[in-house]
Amino acid sequence: MGFVKRRTIVALASVVVLALVAAACGGSSTSGASSSSGGAPIKGGTIREELQEFGWTSGFDPTGEYLGTAWSLYDQMIMRGLMTYNHRGGDEGGNIPVPDIATGPPTVSADELTYEFELKTGVMFGPPVYREVTSADILYSFARINTASLSALYGNYYCGTITGMTCDKDKVDTNIEGIETPDATHITFHLDQPTGDFLYRLAMPATKAIPEEVAKCFTKAGDYGPYLISSSAYMFMGSEDLDITSCDTMEPISGYDVQKGMTLVRNPNYDPATDSTEIREANIDGLQQAINTNYDDIFQRLLDGQIDVAAGTPPKGVLLKFETDPQYANWLHADPGDRTWYITMNLFAAPFDDVHVRRAVNLAFNKEGVRKAYGGEKRGDIATSVEPPTVLPQSVDINPYPANTGEGNNDAAMEEMKQSRYDLNKDGICNDGGACDNILFLGRNIDPWPEMDQVAMASLGTILPGLTLREVDTTTGYTTLQQMKKLVPISSVPGWGKDYASPFGFDYYIFHSDGIYSCTGSSNYSLVGLGKDLADSCGIGAEYDAYVQNNGDVPSIDAKMAECVAKPADEVNPCFAELDTYLMETAVPWVPWVWANNWTSVNPTVSTYVFDQFGNTISYINSAVNNGLAPENVA
Amino acid sequence: MSQVQAAPPEVDTLVPVDAIGRVEGRSPWQLFWMRFKRDHVALGAGVVVGILVFFALVAPLLVTLFVHRGPNALDQNLTSDIGIPILGPSKTAWFGVDGIGRDVFVRTMYGARTSLLVSFIGTGLSLVIGIALGLLAGFRGGKVDTFISRTIDIVLSLPLLLMAIGLSVACGASIDGCAGGLIKSGVPLVIFIIALFGWPYVARIVRGQTLSLREREFVEAARATGFGTWYIMLREIFPNMLASIIVVATLLIPQNILFEAALSYLSVGIPPDTPSWGGMINDATEGSLYFVAWWMLVFPAGFLVITTLSFNLLGDGLRDALDPRAGR
Repeated sequence: MGFVKRRTIVALASVVVLALVAAACGGSSTSGASSSSGGAPIKGGTIREELQEFGWTSGFDPTGEYLGTAWSLYDQMIMRGLMTYNHRGGDEGGNIPVPDIATGPPTVSADELTYEFELKTGVMFGPPVYREVTSADILYSFARINTASLSALYGNYYCGTITGMTCDKDKVDTNIEGIETPDATHITFHLDQPTGDFLYRLAMPATKAIPEEVAKCFTKAGDYGPYLISSSAYMFMGSEDLDITSCDTMEPISGYDVQKGMTLVRNPNYDPATDSTEIREANIDGLQQAINTNYDDIFQRLLDGQIDVAAGTPPKGVLLKFETDPQYANWLHADPGDRTWYITMNLFAAPFDDVHVRRAVNLAFNKEGVRKAYGGEKRGDIATSVEPPTVLPQSVDINPYPANTGEGNNDAAMEEMKQSRYDLNKDGICNDGGACDNILFLGRNIDPWPEMDQVAMASLGTILPGLTLREVDTTTGYTTLQQMKKLVPISSVPGWGKDYASPFGFDYYIFHSDGIYSCTGSSNYSLVGLGKDLADSCGIGAEYDAYVQNNGDVPSIDAKMAECVAKPADEVNPCFAELDTYLMETAVPWVPWVWANNWTSVNPTVSTYVFDQFGNTISYINSAVNNGLAPENVA
Repeated sequence: MSQVQAAPPEVDTLVPVDAIGRVEGRSPWQLFWMRFKRDHVALGAGVVVGILVFFALVAPLLVTLFVHRGPNALDQNLTSDIGIPILGPSKTAWFGVDGIGRDVFVRTMYGARTSLLVSFIGTGLSLVIGIALGLLAGFRGGKVDTFISRTIDIVLSLPLLLMAIGLSVACGASIDGCAGGLIKSGVPLVIFIIALFGWPYVARIVRGQTLSLREREFVEAARATGFGTWYIMLREIFPNMLASIIVVATLLIPQNILFEAALSYLSVGIPPDTPSWGGMINDATEGSLYFVAWWMLVFPAGFLVITTLSFNLLGDGLRDALDPRAGR
């Protein structure tokens, strides 16, 4: 704001005008490429993808990494474990675990407490390790999960389930009571209680084989990522140059730079005979993921044929082309994302500490309008319950608010609101001044949230005229929600996707009381199942007491979830459907508004497009390109 | 060789002479106005500013009478299935609609209210603080001057935009704002930021002027007459720097309009349910929406440019009229 000469300001203003006009008038040239087509997969070529950032949560170290795109790369391309997925769409079984380096399904004891696996022989680590994968390498990955300093974010799937695992060891210790490795090709797990979805948990990336001789050098969370050793079809380019003679000689592998990108090339030690083409066709010669911070440019380069794949929402101008120009008919792929976008309501923040208010919000919310602002029908199906049907097929039958057909129903919402103690004159409007004025609605300030939030606010304005919208960046939004004492009443900031395609893997961290880790780290933003002690220690004891006084016990799914997990496999989903119904009707922490699709844009150079349901990305391993490029030659 | 005829002596038309040759007296403000009205560019800019202020003031009335839609009224029937506006400038919506069917004309008018409100109040606060501290520093000198001058240096050395973004993030995630509710989020926060970082520029200029004026004879005379410090500062020195302050104000206002627009463009300024030109430009750039809905960008950007340009040209004219000896 310093004083600039007036002429400079005038000149700057003129430049701004010219730039804006140029930007507004400048069209983008497009290639004349036709839409991608199916057919027999072509071998060779390199998939070129650009993204704004990797966004890893733990430096691409498989033990702690919690980002879905990383899981996709591990599971499809770089790492193998006991179980995996077929890396195809959900309708082709892409969410069902299948044996990988296990020779077949495990032998499970009658009490469902013991799982015995036999390992395939001939599965090799890539350069520079050059040895066979054994049961000890699987055990080692569990020892890493069990080590506190390596921050295994989903360690609770194993600790408290596998006997002896506690996730609090101060160093990597392969002596785990509940895991036996009698020889190189056998491994046995002993569980504390029956766990119906244990095979899903064994397909998670943290459980993939990790060679101790390299990983032992990295005892802090995230450090192993740049040195990741392949046990699958592809590896970091330059892996063979990694000097593993000692920890001191190791330098990050050249094919990976978190600031620039990564290049994967074929692992020369990979033997397709140990794998199945149902799981890994391995058509491409390589994958290059390059960082490009200019989002518009990424899609322009896709249109120009300079890259093959771009994930995410295309700029509106590009999206319009995809939607209306037949030339681009097959460029945009929308696949079920195993993700629910929702509005979260805090059970301990007035007026949402009254279930009638939460139900009224469910009835009034304009899901269709918000979805339209988000990008339209292709973004996903209108959600009527918590779990997306790709995770819990019974979800489609759960709809406790049929009066809201998607566009919101103010009449029904006002009727519900009249039952609330915050509607003093029973006119269907929240009007208890202290609780109903200046209610914070926390949104995101990145596109397309500002428009979505406006539609949301407009739809709730009748019953909750005191809503006040404030928007912040995504990180601030999440950290604000995570601070229990902030008691954010209602927010559009979060979305939630599955960890794995069992309802337990979807619900656990977002609704179980274990999801309230601490006063500042909760992922259970609605505080379902919050206990009195934690409420007191986090400074919301008064709000907790008020809730109990006005409503009785705090809703909790902990017991029901434990019951569901222990059910035989064929009874798990019906049990979770009951849990989902309880969440929607009784606890009501959310307004789920869309079961989101995952968007991937591809140039016709992608001759075969396959979606990976588990990773929620393009299936690099089963798709094909016809660009004929060698990965080492891709600029 | 042709004869060279001497040019007739220039007559200062600002010095009126009556029929019998007496020189008529003019106050400084009369002189200012006589000079200013000859500057047609500045006059035109002043008219534009006046029109903008008028529209800003009567925006709700205009909307009620002619458009019948509020700035946040949505009509998603005016957008395509994927949220792209399908109604450009037309009789129905003079400036077209945005991605959720809001009327761009209405929002542009209301955006003028936001821009002018924020910049006027922010500039006003900057002036009050800057004038007070600048006068004090320049007149009292010594340790007071040193303290205020170093404070000015410190504030000027702060990275303005980063600090503003930081404050917006820190104070924007709650209704109460921050600093115990002292700084409210939304419009008050942006005004606070503008005032916080704007006053040093004023204070530095006022201090310099005060240092010069306090040595002038009329100040000496006031001292000799026995007037106190506050009287001299407020009644003797301050009126003599008013012209400079007016010019400073006309420069600060467009800068503050642009600053507010920049913060709103970065989505850290005015809340999205309060129309602002910066926020509207941001809406237009969402997914490069301006490629298919140019009106979302051109109208708010155009008004932003016209407004800042007008204020700057007006400031130029005011300076020329108030201090004709100062060169450009």
